[in-house]
Amino acid sequence: MGLIDQAVDLLETGVSNVKENVKDVLDQADYDYSGAIYDSILTTKVGKVIGWAQKNALWPATFGLACCAIEMMAMANSRWDAARFGAEVFRASPRQADLMIVSGRVSQKMAPVLKTIFDQMPEPKWVISMGACASCGGIFNNYAIVQGVDRVVPVDVYVPGCPPGPEALLYGIIKLQEKIMNEAGTKQAAKRVA
Amino acid sequence: MTVTDQGLLEREKDSMTLNMGPQHPSTHGVFRVVLEMDGELVDSAEPHIGFLHTGIEKTAEAKRYVHVIPMTDRLDYLSPPGNNLAFCLTVEKLLQTDVPERAKFLRVIMCELARMASHLVWLATHALDIGAMTVFLYCWREREMILDLNEEISGVRMMTSYIRLGGVVKDSTPGWLQSVRNFVEYFPAKIDEYERLLTRNPIWLDRTQNIGVMSREEAINWSMSGPVLRASGVNWDLRKQRPYSGYENFEFEVPTGKNGDIYDRYLVRVAELRQSREIVRQALKNLPAGPYKVDDNKISLPNRKTLKSSMEALIHHFKLVSEGVSVPKGETYVPIEGPRGEVGFYIVSDGSNVPSRVKLRAPSFMAIPGMCKMMEGCFIADVVGIIGSIDIVMGEVDR
Amino acid sequence: MTSEEIVEKIKTDQGKAINSSEVNLGDSVIFVGAERIHDIAEYLKNDPDLDFDYLSNITGTDYLNEEREPRFEVVYELHSIEKNHSIRIRVGLDEEDPTIPTVSDLWKGALYPERELFDMFGFNIKGHSNLSRLIMPEEWEGNPLRKDYPLTIEDVTFSHNREFKQDLVKSKPRTR
Repeated sequence: MGLIDQAVDLLETGVSNVKENVKDVLDQADYDYSGAIYDSILTTKVGKVIGWAQKNALWPATFGLACCAIEMMAMANSRWDAARFGAEVFRASPRQADLMIVSGRVSQKMAPVLKTIFDQMPEPKWVISMGACASCGGIFNNYAIVQGVDRVVPVDVYVPGCPPGPEALLYGIIKLQEKIMNEAGTKQAAKRVA
Repeated sequence: MTVTDQGLLEREKDSMTLNMGPQHPSTHGVFRVVLEMDGELVDSAEPHIGFLHTGIEKTAEAKRYVHVIPMTDRLDYLSPPGNNLAFCLTVEKLLQTDVPERAKFLRVIMCELARMASHLVWLATHALDIGAMTVFLYCWREREMILDLNEEISGVRMMTSYIRLGGVVKDSTPGWLQSVRNFVEYFPAKIDEYERLLTRNPIWLDRTQNIGVMSREEAINWSMSGPVLRASGVNWDLRKQRPYSGYENFEFEVPTGKNGDIYDRYLVRVAELRQSREIVRQALKNLPAGPYKVDDNKISLPNRKTLKSSMEALIHHFKLVSEGVSVPKGETYVPIEGPRGEVGFYIVSDGSNVPSRVKLRAPSFMAIPGMCKMMEGCFIADVVGIIGSIDIVMGEVDR
Repeated sequence: MTSEEIVEKIKTDQGKAINSSEVNLGDSVIFVGAERIHDIAEYLKNDPDLDFDYLSNITGTDYLNEEREPRFEVVYELHSIEKNHSIRIRVGLDEEDPTIPTVSDLWKGALYPERELFDMFGFNIKGHSNLSRLIMPEEWEGNPLRKDYPLTIEDVTFSHNREFKQDLVKSKPRTR
C-alpha cells in the first residue's frame, strides 16, 4: 500500500508542476511502479481461484456407450488434443473423475448403471450429455431408449450432433469451463459440494 | 507344496466372482462379463449383453426403406458403409434390380475405406488395452485421414449413408479421387510403422501367442466369422465365395492363420489392411465412367435437371420422397463380408413401402459365446486381450 | 451344388418329412414342421454331399399383419464351408404354443440366437441349456418384436405442447 501512496504523491506533484507534461508523468509513473504494483499482488476471491483450478483440470470418466464414444476418443487423440484443455487423463474409475461425458444412447437396461456410476463420482461433478441420443433420445424414439439422459442425471452442457464432431465436443468442454468460471465463488458452486 | 505345470502352487480351490462391468475401459462398449475365478485363473465367463439395446429392428418396421438406411449406419458404428451396403444389396435383390458398374466400384471403395478405418480402431484399442499407447495415437492419425475422405464425399465423418438403394447418393469428384489416391500412396509406410512396433515385439508376442486358441472345427461350430474364422485356418471370405458388388473384378489375397490365437488374428487383420489398400488402388485405376445410380425412377431419385422439363420425373420424385420405394412381396438374405465377419440383413417384405421384418445377422453377436468359451482357463489379463482380438462392437450385438 | 440340385436331393432323400421346397430368387428354401426340424437339421449337417456345417443365422418373424396360419416363423440359414452352398429352412409356429426343439447340440452357434428368440418373441425352445432373457432386462415383461407389442413413440416437446413439457421438466432431477 505504501507503493501506491508514493505513486499518487508523484502524480500530484508532477501535475501541480505545470512545467511537466501530464502524459510524460503518467508514462514515468507507469514505468517506475507498474511492475511493483501490478505484477506482485493479485487480489481475487478464494472461490474464483478454486473455480479456475477446477476448470483447467477436468478429468473425464470413460463412459463411452456407442458411436459418440469413437468421436470422444478422436477428441482425446492427437488432432483435437483434449489434453491442452486439461482433460488429459480419462480416468477409468469414477471415483477419480469429476466430469462424466455420457456419449451414446442410454438404453433402459443401462440407465440404473448410469445412475450408479454418477453416484460414485465424488463432488463437485459435472455432466456433459454428448450427442443427440444422450440429450433427447436422438433418432430412436421407442421403448428401448431413455429419451434424454437428463431424466436420470442432472446435465450441465448438451452437445448436439449425431455424432458431434470432436470440435463440437471440445466447444462443449470450453462452454463447461466458462460455466464453472461464472459460477465460481458464488453460492451455486458451494451447492455443488453438498 | 506341489507346483502345477502352469507354475502355480497346489492349493484348495477358492472361487471368487469378479464383475467386469458394463462401464469398463477395456470391454469395448457396454459389455458385462461375470468371471468365476480361481485365483488368477478364469474358470468360467458369463456374458451379459443388452446394455445398448436400441430397438432398431422394431423401429425399422415403422419406417420407409430409405429411412432405415441411416439407422443401419448406427448398428456397426465402426464401418457404417458396410451395413448400408448389406441392407441395400438385400432390398435390391428383392426389387430384382441391378446397379451400374460405376456405382459398384464406388461402393467397393467406400466399403474398403471403412474396413481400413474399422481395423485401425481395432488395432488402436486392442494395443491400448494390452499396453501400447503409441499405437493408439498413430492409428488414429490415419483414421482421421479416412474420415476426412468420408466428409469430403458425403458431408459426414462417420455415419455417411452414402450407399443408397439403386447406387450411391452422389457422384465422386476428381478432387476426391485424387485425395483417395494420395491416401493410398501414403498408407503402406504407416502399416509398416505399426508392424515395426508390434509384430516382433517380445512383450506383444508374450501377451498374444498361444492365448485364446480356437481350433478350426470349434470356430466353425461356434459360428465365428471374418478374421477370427480365418485366423483359425478356414479359408472363408464372402468376397471370394459369394462375390457381390463387383468384387470379382479385383485381385486380392485372403490371409489365413494357423493356430487361431490372438497373434494370428492380429496378423490376419494387419494383412487385411494391406489387401484393402490394394483393392482401393485397383478400384481407382479401373473406375468406369457412367451413371452412379440406377435409371429406374421408381427406385432412385431422378436427375434434378430433368425435373424442370419432364412431368414423369416430377411425379416420380414426389412419390419417392413422400411414399418411398414399394418393394415386392418376399423374403431374402444377402450376406457380405464386413470387417468383423459375415454381416447380412434378412428382410421380409409384404409388398408395401415399409419393411415387415428387418433382422441383422451380427458377427459380434454370434461370436460372444465362442469368446467366453475361449476365456476359460486363462489368466485375468488375457481376458482383456481376448475381448480385443475378437473385435466386438456392442451396437450390432444389442441392436 | 446349385440351389435346384440341393432342393432336388433333399426332396428325394427326405420326401414327406419336409412340407415343401422352392428356389426363391436363387436361394434354396425348404419348409419344415416344428417337430421334424431336429432330424432334418441332423441330416443336413451329416450328409456328405450337403455338409452344412456352419450355422449362419436363426431368425424369427411375426406374420400377424398378413393374417396367415401359422402366425410365427423361425428361419434358419445354413452355409457349407467346403462345398460353398447355402440353404434356408423356414419353420412355421402356432400362436398358442410356439415351441421348437433346439439345434444347439449340432451347432453351438445356435445358443445365442435361440435365446434371443425366447426373449424377443416368446418362443419356447425345448432342450436349450440356458433359456433366459438376453437383450431386454431380466424383469421386462412382454416380447418386443411381436407385432402387437407397441413401438412406444413419445411426444417430442415443442411449443405446441407446452403442458407436456412442464410436466416433464418437473419430473427431471434438479440441476445444481
